[in-house]
Amino acid sequence: MRLEWRLAWRNVWRNPRRTGLTVAATSFAVFLVIAATALSVGMWDKIIDDSVGMASGHVTLTGPGYLEERTLEQFTYLDDALVARLSADPGVAGFAPRINAFGLLSEADATRGVMLLGVDPLREASVSTLPERVRSGRFLEAGREWEIVLGKRLAQVLGVGVGDAVLVYSVAYSLESAYEIFRVVGTLGLPDPTLERGLALISLDDAQRFFVYGDRVSEVAIRARDASEAGELARGLGAGLDAERVEAHPWQEVMPDLAQSVVLDQAGMYMMLAILVLVVAFGIFNTILMAVLERKREFGVVLALGLPPRSIFRVVYLESIFLAGVGLLVGLMLAIPAVLYLQANPIPLGDGEEIAAAFEMVGAEPVITAKLQASNPVFSSLMILVVALLAALYPALRASRGKPVDVLRSL
Amino acid sequence: MAILEAIGVGKVYETRGVETVALDAVDLAVEEGEFAALAGPSGSGKTTLLNLLGALDAPSSGEVRLDGEKLADLSPAALSELRLRKLGFVFQAYNLIPVFSAAENIEFVMELQGVSAAERRKRAEALLAEVELEGLGEKRPLEMSGGQQQRVAVARALASRPRVILADEPTANLDSKTAIRLLELMAELNRNHGVTFLFSSHDPLVLERARRRIWLRDGGIDRIEEGAVA
Repeated sequence: MRLEWRLAWRNVWRNPRRTGLTVAATSFAVFLVIAATALSVGMWDKIIDDSVGMASGHVTLTGPGYLEERTLEQFTYLDDALVARLSADPGVAGFAPRINAFGLLSEADATRGVMLLGVDPLREASVSTLPERVRSGRFLEAGREWEIVLGKRLAQVLGVGVGDAVLVYSVAYSLESAYEIFRVVGTLGLPDPTLERGLALISLDDAQRFFVYGDRVSEVAIRARDASEAGELARGLGAGLDAERVEAHPWQEVMPDLAQSVVLDQAGMYMMLAILVLVVAFGIFNTILMAVLERKREFGVVLALGLPPRSIFRVVYLESIFLAGVGLLVGLMLAIPAVLYLQANPIPLGDGEEIAAAFEMVGAEPVITAKLQASNPVFSSLMILVVALLAALYPALRASRGKPVDVLRSL
Repeated sequence: MAILEAIGVGKVYETRGVETVALDAVDLAVEEGEFAALAGPSGSGKTTLLNLLGALDAPSSGEVRLDGEKLADLSPAALSELRLRKLGFVFQAYNLIPVFSAAENIEFVMELQGVSAAERRKRAEALLAEVELEGLGEKRPLEMSGGQQQRVAVARALASRPRVILADEPTANLDSKTAIRLLELMAELNRNHGVTFLFSSHDPLVLERARRRIWLRDGGIDRIEEGAVA
């Protein structure tokens, strides 16, 4: 075996330029596979995280049929048992009850239709980024009544500011008219301009009174400790809850458009990676096959001298393992620090750029970031190694199946 | 007792449906300790016969025996082992392994035989001295002259302590002075170690030193000459 290792190692360096090019191509491919995967995972994690932070969390508990209708008719409860259950679940980072309803806001002659969101001022920060997005005044506070926070553009359209009063009008759960004067205590800057023109927040207590909703809520938004475990968390929570009263939905069900974008983007990325891996396979195949063909006579000689055919197979295979292995190591050494750097130092996209606007549309911070999961380099390395071994199969078989006389006949 | 035997050996090559008879019912016995040569013009079948006797190819008809063992009965792996233990080869184009040094080329077959590293090194140095290449063990083949490479090839052929060395046109690429020195060396090894040498050559330098010349023509044995050339 030591003889085979020595032969393989010396042969790899017989043509340093060709070896260098193959190693460089493999390293580049490894770098690209790891970086592209990390970028995709990082960017989508960020987009999902930011989006769910603006919406209904990684997992949403609702009454049956809420996602289809989204009216006050579909409701659930956040009772003490559910609070205890969610607080004890290690996969839950935070949760907050909400009431969603349509309403009209008016001030003087201006009237706007808005989404009224009743939130728990104490719990909301554990789920969403809304409390951090206050641009003027302050966020809602517990214990204070009839306060309202408006999207910045909504406030501008209505011509109101902090301290002003607005009339809120809607239809209560009891189907009676509901109206009340609220005092504007703050404005929010939101990434999506449409949302900024149409969102108004009131406290959950006020919402329950305003809509005559008792202790009902539209949804309980849950922030998962690990965004990628949302599906699992929803299944786990759903299994232990009364299906007549409450359903658990992962964010993919609440925001199907975003989920579909992730799937489509990842499909495109996997296709690109497959092409890349194929290119590497051809590179290694070409190098090994050329190396085998130009040594046809040499293989005949060592066969004649008594080297068993299986040893020749192993020598050729070892050569491809060396090539792929060195390429892999260099690729890993380049990719991992680069990805970790980008993970720690996201690159902000400039204001006004088209791509930045696209990020803002889904409520995500416009930055380029990456996320390195342990499975990424492990899986990428295994994939490149398997591909290299498959690519070397034909040349290795060809080399080992030669007969000594085939190469000596020409002498 | 014959160390090598060809009994009614024939070899037919087929290229694009056209059959070419390279050897036709050849009978030959090479005795242990011989210093013999297969001679004849190009296309007479001498290299084909050498390949068959060296277990590098299988005959189309007849049988080849090495040290009494019928080669047709052996698997490719067993043939490899047989070549390793009993045969040594010297080729026209030297065919040293270019990525190995001269000493490593000589040690190659010993390593395959499982000889220890220290013993290999000792024997390689002795063989290098025997072929008058002391101090050149670390040189790679491409750093050596043709004559030096062929002497390394002879040392490699001897390294496995074979019963027979088959040499295919060993002097074809050498100048006459180098060729004579190489042949004298081989004759010495034959005398001192009792190694059987069978050449395939039409070089007069080889033929005049062979103690038996087997002349081939059109795939068959034309005549056999015994004794030194007058």
